[in-house]
Amino acid sequence: MAAPLYTTASGLLFHAGKILVLTVGLPARGKTHVSRALERYLRWLGVRTLVVSLGDYRRKILGSAQQIPSDYFTLGEKSEKTKRFRASVSEGCERQIWRFFEEQNGQVVIYDANNGTRAARQALAGKFDKKGIHVIFLESVCTNEEIIEANIRSVKISSPDYRGWDPERAVEDYYRRIRDHEKYYEPVTETNWPFIRIFNVGEKIEVNEIKGYLQSRIIFFLMNIHNKFRTIYFARSGQSLIEHSYKADSDLSPAGWEYAHRLKDFVLERRAKALEARSMNPAERKLVIWTSARRRAHHTAWPFVTHAATYGPSAAPTPSLMHSNPASRLATPLLAAVANAALSAQQPPPLNLPEAETIEKALQRKLGKDGATSPQQKTIGLPPASPNLLSVQAPGEASTQKRLFSSVKVIEKQQMSEINPGVWDGLSPERAQALYPEEWARFLRDPYAFRAPRAESYHDLCVRLEPILIELEREQEDLLIIGHASVIRCLLAYLIGLPASEIPAIEVARGDLLEVRPASYGVHSSAYHFWDGPGRRGSSSGGGSGVAKGLGLGPDTGRGKSKSRAGSLDPTGKAREGSKQHAANAKAGSEWWAASETAKAANASDRPDIASVGGTEGAGGFGGAFGEAIASDGESDDEYRGPVNIEQENAEDGGSESDGSANFYENVAEDTRGKRKIDVEYFAGL
Amino acid sequence: MAATEQPAKLAPTPQQPFFSAGNPMLKRFDETSAASRKPTPVPVGSPVPAVTPPYGVSGIGNKVAKPDYSEAKIVLAMVGLPARGKSYLSNKLMRYLKWLEYDVKVFNVGQLRRSRAREKAKKSGIKEAHTSEYFSYNNEQATKIRDQLAEDSLEMLIQWLKDGGNVDATNSTVSRRQKISARVSREPGIKVIFLESICTDQAIIDSNVALKVSSGDPDYAHMSREEAKTDFLRRIAEYERVYETINDKIETRSSYLKITDVGREVTLAHIHGYLQSRIAFYLMNLHIKPRSIFFSRHGESQFNVEGKIGGDSPLSERGMQYANALPALITDNIGDAPLTVRVPLLSSPLHRNSEMIVLYLFTRKVWTSTLQRTIQTAHYLPYPKLTWKSLDELDAGVCDGMTYDEIEEKYPEDFEARDDDKFNYRYRGGESYRDVVVRLEPVIMELERQENILIVGHQAILRCLYAYFHDLPPADLPYIKIPLHTVIKLTPKAYGCDEERYTLPIGAVDTHRPKPHMSKQPDRPASTSGREYYGETK
Repeated sequence: MAAPLYTTASGLLFHAGKILVLTVGLPARGKTHVSRALERYLRWLGVRTLVVSLGDYRRKILGSAQQIPSDYFTLGEKSEKTKRFRASVSEGCERQIWRFFEEQNGQVVIYDANNGTRAARQALAGKFDKKGIHVIFLESVCTNEEIIEANIRSVKISSPDYRGWDPERAVEDYYRRIRDHEKYYEPVTETNWPFIRIFNVGEKIEVNEIKGYLQSRIIFFLMNIHNKFRTIYFARSGQSLIEHSYKADSDLSPAGWEYAHRLKDFVLERRAKALEARSMNPAERKLVIWTSARRRAHHTAWPFVTHAATYGPSAAPTPSLMHSNPASRLATPLLAAVANAALSAQQPPPLNLPEAETIEKALQRKLGKDGATSPQQKTIGLPPASPNLLSVQAPGEASTQKRLFSSVKVIEKQQMSEINPGVWDGLSPERAQALYPEEWARFLRDPYAFRAPRAESYHDLCVRLEPILIELEREQEDLLIIGHASVIRCLLAYLIGLPASEIPAIEVARGDLLEVRPASYGVHSSAYHFWDGPGRRGSSSGGGSGVAKGLGLGPDTGRGKSKSRAGSLDPTGKAREGSKQHAANAKAGSEWWAASETAKAANASDRPDIASVGGTEGAGGFGGAFGEAIASDGESDDEYRGPVNIEQENAEDGGSESDGSANFYENVAEDTRGKRKIDVEYFAGL
Repeated sequence: MAATEQPAKLAPTPQQPFFSAGNPMLKRFDETSAASRKPTPVPVGSPVPAVTPPYGVSGIGNKVAKPDYSEAKIVLAMVGLPARGKSYLSNKLMRYLKWLEYDVKVFNVGQLRRSRAREKAKKSGIKEAHTSEYFSYNNEQATKIRDQLAEDSLEMLIQWLKDGGNVDATNSTVSRRQKISARVSREPGIKVIFLESICTDQAIIDSNVALKVSSGDPDYAHMSREEAKTDFLRRIAEYERVYETINDKIETRSSYLKITDVGREVTLAHIHGYLQSRIAFYLMNLHIKPRSIFFSRHGESQFNVEGKIGGDSPLSERGMQYANALPALITDNIGDAPLTVRVPLLSSPLHRNSEMIVLYLFTRKVWTSTLQRTIQTAHYLPYPKLTWKSLDELDAGVCDGMTYDEIEEKYPEDFEARDDDKFNYRYRGGESYRDVVVRLEPVIMELERQENILIVGHQAILRCLYAYFHDLPPADLPYIKIPLHTVIKLTPKAYGCDEERYTLPIGAVDTHRPKPHMSKQPDRPASTSGREYYGETK
């Protein structure tokens, strides 16, 4: 069981003493990749960890490769000047290491350097060992030339050393650097220190004298990482019929279904564009989708399944193919069974919109509120004329859809359920505060660690998600995680390297697709906005289509610069501008059955516990963190703005979509390209 | 805002949440939202075929199908001299994986040899002597027979895997490995991993030998202990003459795990895939120091008395008595120095750094859930405690806080469905027993690292943990009897667990609900720590 562990007075979580991991390996062997990944994981575990990168330090002092003396990377005779440089660089790094151990209460340092000669690393290890620091060698060995070449092309020549170089020249220069090192390189064969040797980034691992909890965690982690190209997408599940209740585990609302279709279209399109830009064929790569076992998440993945079943090579457009079994691609028996059932169905059902309406009506009848039949109610749910939905499914689009085909595998992960709100299930903040004043105060003090009665804290959630992280590292295919805001927050915090205390404040809006691409020097992340329908928090304004949003997660935004959208929270808990709009919207009510102002007003007195969490939250300036803990998922912080809004919204959407349909995604990509790359210095500077 | 307005007639109290099976609103909601359970709306004339979305939610829960493990087919071939703990490891691993619902079967060449010999003896009256002579590599005829046995065993195993099994273990020595690899590589979708167990610690080997000799190994049934030991040592010597450890240079492409002295040192090569790395991690966490694991449910709670499930109620008066009596029970009846804090030194004496590696967690020797009934129960225990969210009771979702009678009355059909397949039944907004097993998997991993430890838990939680240690099938798991006011002591042995129970004479309600319409209830298993000779008895 691992997760951000319990904080102790000393700030040291494991009584494991201090550990120095010395990386060993020729250039382009994935040392940095392994170091950064390990750092990310250990930090997430709550261990104070720092990567000290010799390369980064040198670059800071000497500038890029062009300024480096030509004999810098050779180990033979050097000019006095070079020697001085080298000595000052390694001394500087060692100073950093000491400072972290001694002044900053650090526990693990990963010293990312070549340490290629036995004498040098033995001396270094001895020096630290004398001061009581536990030294481990971590050697990265690559026997596969392709991996090295790919590493050089994809990572090294884009490293700060070669900014502005001609790629071919940079590659050549880099190979020369490697050759110089090779002459003197001695693999780790000495057994007087504990060591881990990783071959070809995880293909094989050799371990010597590694013992202890933290260490075996490290090994398990290293067994699961890889450095192949892939993209991880995150999206929230669609709106459900009862947003506020964890226990109800309800189905998607009509708007939720529409959201699911839009998500499918957007993800496939976006992914196809991204892959084609890299000359990859989206049809040849599998898209793996993880959902929680909660129905609304699971159902949100459904359009992907139907799409794959419809347009895939083994699809069943004609009855003769109906016996083939595309459902075998589906991971869960449930989905497989349903897909089979679906394929054997003969007739498409008629558009079933009136039924969506009757949900509202019927319940109101039950509640004795039958009279409320304002004209608006008839348009609730799936607007029949929604241009988005129709344009997607118009016959002329079939070829496009076919192009976007990707084989899909949906996996239900039981650990990915949203945070359990315990006794606060279904309560509004006011209600929770009134009923549990003490707990509420403690919650405000520490939203990460606080656990409401019978609920889960974010910490509990992180513990629960740890096996998912390992699987996330292991997954090689493109991955779409359709999840709940709380779960996405934790996973993003891990991937991006945010401290635990910031997890509750991370903004994850429904209608944004978050895209994360692991790279050696951190992760690239960007967010694409694709949906403005009901259920999206704070989506009142025409923030809408075509505008790329930052993740609100980088080193800068994480520190409170207002980059996120209206109504969100910065880590200090201050409401941002925009909450006014939010409050105005809140008036429209957020109860799932509240189809109109009238209906809501009538019902409100009956259902105080399922009050408009989203609305009140906005009014109070509370961000996702609060809605999150109170109602199941922060899905609750959505507001239902009623039919009038929906129609307007859709009209707007449709308009802007049709205007710039060809360029829509392109524009988004343009806006975000390169912006959200997490700076190396951010990691090193903590 | 709505929240500030005063509630009217249907106002739920915190004790009776809105979405509870006890509240009529749930049924109303289900009736009125039936529309979402109809097929997805698709415009007429669209090319999209009719596809039915996954079925919607209604009632208090439903059965959840087992996850699909069919992609993982693994042959785990054991490598190692006799008495190196191969069977221990394969046994342990089998229990772990079976607990996680993988189909696992151990194919043991020794077992096949014995059962064939028995058949032969029946037919011809000739009794083969399987003494060390038989295992000598000079005995060409016997060597041939044994090769044949190994091959037959492998064929049986592959057949079984094709029929749907997941993981296997078989005995093997020498570079028979290459034959195995070659054979298995002809089967698509099946992977072979070698698991080599090396023992450098003579004490471990000696105790393994003693166990083998005294455990009623059928090979030695007719011999005195001394004779048996001598013969067994000779058998080991015969193997040692030809034994080759897994060699990287020759077997470059093999997947393997080398384990030295059960977890002291591990080497891994070509371990790919989720299940493989899980197996490796599990094996890395094992240790063989003697220890006992104590389970106790919380004392009787208010909800127990009222017959309600779930909740977070305090202990009843009798429950408090149990909490008071527990420390004495632990210290008087159980071991001399139980639940001491371990201070593990960094691995072997070889290690230069004798620095302490104690996880903060390790020093907490009593584990409780976060619910107050377990915390109260453990309150008087003079040991460091740790509360685990993962040890919380199975979440009964919408049925939380109800009595079984109420549930049966309101949802008779659902109630029956749960009885029908309790392990797979997931309460709406709550959990199934399978969900609990998945949730407890990291706890098991942590538990394997512990020495003496007491877990104050809940009925469903302890059932799951207990089933892991006793290798009980999922279908029986929800009916394991874990009475209140009883401490269960499990002592892991080489091939299972010894069990003792200590019941305090403090009355408590019986919360066990036997499966209806079932004649035979799975009872508490007899001691399972004896070595099982597969196929010998059954």
